[in-house]
This record gives sequence, structure tokens and C-alpha cells, in this order.
Amino acid sequence: MKSLVVANGGLGNGMSRKQLLPVLEKCGLVEALLMPPNKPYSFVRYKTTEESRNAYASLNGKEIVDDLGQKVILYLNFVERAQWKELGHQALPPGLTVVEEIISSEDEKMLLESINWTEDLDNQNFQKSLKHRRVKHFGYEFHYENNNVDKDKPLPEGLPDICDSFLEKWLAEGYIKCRPDQLTINQYEPGQGIPAHIDTHSAFEDEIISLSLGSEVVMDFKHPDGITVQVMLPRRSLLVMTGESRYLWTHGITPRKFDTVQASEDYKSGIITSDIGDLTLRKRGIRTSFTFRKVRHMPCTCNYSLVCNSQRKETPPSFPESDKEASQLEQEYVHQVYEEIAGHFSSTRHTPWPHIVAFLKALPDGSIVADIGCGNGKYLGINKEFYMIGCDRSKNLVDICRERQFQAFVCDALAVPVRSGSCDACISIAVIHHFATAERRVAALREIVRLLRPGGKALIYVWAMEQEHNNQKSKYLRENRISQEKKEEIKCDKSTQGLLEQKSDIGSQNSASSVLSIDYIQEKESSSKTVTNSELPIHTNRTSFHSQDVLVPWHLKTKTGKNKPVEPFGSVGSCDPSPVFHRYYHVFRDGELEATCQTLSNVIILQSYYDQGNWCIILQKAWVCYGATWS
Amino acid sequence: MKLLTHNLLSSHVRGVGPRGFPLRLQATEVRVNPVEFNPDFVARMIPKVEWAALLEAADTLHLAEVPRAPTEGYEHDEDFLRKMHHVLLEVEVLEGTLQCPESGRLFPISRGIPNMLLNDEETET
Repeated sequence: MKSLVVANGGLGNGMSRKQLLPVLEKCGLVEALLMPPNKPYSFVRYKTTEESRNAYASLNGKEIVDDLGQKVILYLNFVERAQWKELGHQALPPGLTVVEEIISSEDEKMLLESINWTEDLDNQNFQKSLKHRRVKHFGYEFHYENNNVDKDKPLPEGLPDICDSFLEKWLAEGYIKCRPDQLTINQYEPGQGIPAHIDTHSAFEDEIISLSLGSEVVMDFKHPDGITVQVMLPRRSLLVMTGESRYLWTHGITPRKFDTVQASEDYKSGIITSDIGDLTLRKRGIRTSFTFRKVRHMPCTCNYSLVCNSQRKETPPSFPESDKEASQLEQEYVHQVYEEIAGHFSSTRHTPWPHIVAFLKALPDGSIVADIGCGNGKYLGINKEFYMIGCDRSKNLVDICRERQFQAFVCDALAVPVRSGSCDACISIAVIHHFATAERRVAALREIVRLLRPGGKALIYVWAMEQEHNNQKSKYLRENRISQEKKEEIKCDKSTQGLLEQKSDIGSQNSASSVLSIDYIQEKESSSKTVTNSELPIHTNRTSFHSQDVLVPWHLKTKTGKNKPVEPFGSVGSCDPSPVFHRYYHVFRDGELEATCQTLSNVIILQSYYDQGNWCIILQKAWVCYGATWS
Repeated sequence: MKLLTHNLLSSHVRGVGPRGFPLRLQATEVRVNPVEFNPDFVARMIPKVEWAALLEAADTLHLAEVPRAPTEGYEHDEDFLRKMHHVLLEVEVLEGTLQCPESGRLFPISRGIPNMLLNDEETET
């Protein structure tokens, strides 16, 4: 075997390629050194088995020094094969450009020296209150409490004079289209960052530009669908964000002291590759950014209304406090949405789930079965020996059932127009989690039980808050688009597997700050928490849930061709973004579904289990006779 | 909507309860859709059928040859089963209305789909 795993020799525990490779090369010819990002291990492949044996003999248990100067003991072990399929070429977020070497080293030095950080007390207090990076504003004061500027109170001096020549030049050369009138200077020490955010639509016009001085950094761009793109911003480069990259994608800088960057091309901009044969760590230096923006005076009219504070309703949806509010929330964030997305939704719901099929197939022939919230009728045709009827709140989805020759009707799950005790069984898959209060969820369950004849069974599925169960990530999490094509193929003996599992995803490069994975929680500046506690958070698809009541985005794709890939440097506003809808969910905690069922007096819980990110339950309606119940 | 489905439907207008069954059927467009005859399946449905409601609906649609009640030993009576098969499973109401017998509320049937949505005032709380 020519491949070895090198535990404690990973990017995730502060070991760079520069440190590790020479050590490994002493033992033989290294064909490849694969360093997966954020993992505390790497894989090395030697040309011959003898060389790998040599490496094992001399390096297993050996102490070396990592990039932080810390002593680390390497543990090696043989693996059958170590390969990592690479992600296809990722595109920059649409509307994003990085212009390299836009200023000279002399100009960089001059700009940095021109900043007077201790100019006045107000500024100093501001800086203290932010706890993180230092900031300075020109043109208009930026207010972190509401992430907006006070358009009626421009700052007296305007932009610093030295910026004029640069801005003129950039306009003339076509790097920027409009002349900004607001400047924010940010200075980041290693370990400092800025939480992921979208610059307030109503505050600034389309074009936002940022000049990086002093040090390069990796900036994270995240699409609401969960896709993350990491972009290297070299020193003396200008980042230009327009269109989708400015209005829809969030951008942020992880607070950490190292970035994972490409080993081969130094200081180049572009997307950080996922080729783990070419990654290393780079220590951050002090980075200063000059972010220029144009203050907006008219409301924003972008195409991304769901994230646009000019176009969104005055109050974003909040946790309902009455049955009426719940009903209104469901109307807007469940029913209307499913009507709009029905076709696309149906096309993504084609494979019946094995456990549900098994439940249905185990029912006696001649059963009358109701599917409450049948959607596109996925389960209505499973067993020809039943009479199955489906109902759904969405006319458009019921239409699809009809096209498939199923018996279906439109109704609300809280008021099912079926006579009591007429069904031998019911199923309700991924429905009850759309009800916005506990009372409504119980009421929906009660309806289902009402339909059952005594002894009849119901199968209920709801989305679980816990998307990871028994150390296994659900399909929903695993299908994160970053890792879709990246399949870890490690065949190794049990002890190594155990080692890897123990050490998996430590994710911290130093003790002070923790490195994000895709679960990086969006946090506003500590002094500017304007979000009220009851506001419903918007969930990022394919990540863990941080709240039980959430809005989950749905990106609508229409039948007229899939969403076309957008030119990274295309003109602003020329491409139609896919509309995004938010659906309300109450995701259930472990035990919650059971507890809800237990409040019903005439049911027995037959089985309770977890299936691919869902909590599931099989109930039976009790027989009742002279006040006694038995099953 | 097949007549077996109609046999299961009941009005859920507030306060109506079991008096919401059966829904009064009115059809403007009906179609006969052949369905493969499965005698065992039909036999199993017979005990679950509410006969009065079925007959009422069948009469409204002017269906001929509708058995008035299950015969003795119906499970093996092919003639009976075939007739029931036809009434329950092959007659489809495409356009029409369903009416709550107690409140008079009308529910439309369109393209074979009954729309049983109530507005807020009508739902039972």
C-alpha cells in the first residue's frame, strides 16, 4: 500500500503544506499530498510501497512543529486508497469582479499612512463598542444599529481628497460605473472578521467596491441556497460587487488567523480551489479595506425582493401569537407558496420513501387509506389492493394527483371532509410541521385520528430539528452542494477509521477562535441587535437548524430549461434570478412528536423512529368499550 | 370523483357534525372510465359502503342496474360484484357540486376534483 493517513498533520489543526511536505519527502518520493480543508489529517501517497513503509517507520509517533510553532505528534497509518473527487469549476457569484494590482505598493503605503485612527473621541468610542475590527466613516455615518446611513446628515468633509484620483482613474478605466459618496475603512487584525451579511439594499446603490490593503484575505460568499464560494482578495486588489453578488449573496470574513489557500499560485485572486492536493495555509496579516458605496435615495427596486428591505413588507414574519396570526402566517408562507411552486415541487418529489412504502404494503388488502397532505400523490398509487384518497391544501398539487388518475380533493388538514371512522389507515408525510402553533399541530393529529376506524393505524412524518442522528448526517445535510461531488473514499482498517472519526471536524486552528464550517451562525454586531426575538429566522438550506420555527427558502426553477449558469462578469440586471419563496416550518425536537400524540386520549403509539432527518410515528386508534380502552 | 370517494366525503361546516353526510351530488359532466375488475377488492369494499348514500348518488346520476343492497353470499356473486365495481369505481363525476345537506353550503367539483375548502367562519374550531 502506498498511501498513508497522517493524523495531526492537517490544515484543520494548523499544519501547512510547507511544514509537512519536507518532512514527508525525507522518506521517499511523494506523489501527492492531499490536505482536506478544516480536517486534522492529510493523506500522502508515495511512489513505492517501500517508501511508504519507510515513512510509517520513521514518522509514526514523531514530533514536529506546526506553523504556530506548536509541537505536534504525527500518527501515520496505511490506507488502501486516498482519493478525493474535485468539485467542478465553481463560478464567482454573478456580478462579482476582482481587479488585481489596481494600485501600486507606494500608493498602498501612502493610503495606509494617511488614515488617522485617533482623530476624535466619537470615533474612538465607536471603535471600542464594536469589539472587533476598527472602523472609520466618511461621507455619511454608517449606523450599525440598523445597518443603514442617515441620509439627512452627511458628514462635513466628504470623502478624503487622496481618494479622488483613484476614483477618477477607476471610473475612466471602466472598473467602476458610478462615483461613490460614502467610504468605510475597516482594519482587521488576524483573528478578526465580519459576520456574513448583505449590504442593506435601501442604503446603497448597486455597485459596492472594496480595496484591500496590507494583507490578502479569503472572503466567503454564500447564496441563500447554501452554496458557498470562497474568494481570495489579494493585496492591492479591488473587489467590485454588483447585481446578484451585491443583493442576494451574503459576504463575510471568518474570524481566524489563517486562511486555506491554493498552494501553487501565490497571491492570486479567484476562487479557492477544492483540490486538496493543492491547498495550504496562509497566515493573515493586518488587512485594511476601503469600501466605497453610493448612498441610495430612492427605494430599492432589485429583483431579489425576498431579501430587499425596500420591497419586503414592513414587518418580516414573526412567531404567531394567536390562532388567527398562525392561520395568516400559514396562508402566506405555506399555502400561497405551494401554489406557486407546485410544478417544480412535484418534480422533486418522485421517489417514495422505503419505510413509508413498507408501512403501506403491510396493510391488509381492501384497506381504505387517506393521505392527508398528499402533495403530488406520490403515495397514492403504491398499492392497487387499497382504495386510497388524497387531500391537500394546494389546488395545483391536487391537480397533479388528478393528472395521475388518483382520487384527490382540496381541503385543509384541520377540517378534513371525510366521515369519522371510515379509514383503515392514514398517512401524513411532511405536513404537520407546517402548522404554526402547537394547538394547530395537535388539532391536525386529532383530525387524522378521527378518520381512523378503531384499530386503524396512522403514519406521521415531520421534519426533525436534529438533522444529524447517531453521528450520521441526513441526506438533506449531506447533499450540500459544496460536497456533492467530493466523495471521500477512504478504505482503511478499523483502527484508522476510529482514529479519523474521533478526530473528525475539530475545526479550530487556534484556541481563541473557532473556524466555521457551513454552520457558521449569522450574528449581527453585538451592539446592533435590532432583530426582535420573535422574528422568524431564515434558514440556510442544507445546514443544521438553529431554531425550531424557521422560514426555509425554495428556489423556483421553471420548466423552460433549468436555471442557466450566469456569466460571472455579466452586465447588471440582465439575468433573471430564480425567484425565492420562503416556507414556514416548525421542526420537531426528539420526543416532541411522541409527546404531542400522547396528549390524545384514544391513541396508542406503536412505533417511533428517525428516518433521514424526520421524526416518525405509527399510531393506532384505540377500541373503546364501556369506558375501557384496549388495543 | 368516483362514487366510492363520494361515499367517504362529509361536510365539515361548523356545527354540522354527522348531519353533514351524505353530501348531495349534482353532476353536469360524468364520464365512465373502465377499471380492471378485481372481485376480491370489490368484495372487501362492500362492508364499508354507506348504502343509502350510494343509492342516493347513483339515482342522481340516473345510473341503471344499481343493486339496492348486498346479496346473500355477495362475495361470490360475480354479477353483483361487477355491478358494484361499475358503480363504485368506473363512474367519474368531472363537473358538478356537492351540497352540505344541513347548511346548504355548495362545494364545487371541477375536473374531477372536489374543492372542500371552507373559509374561516365555516370551519369548526
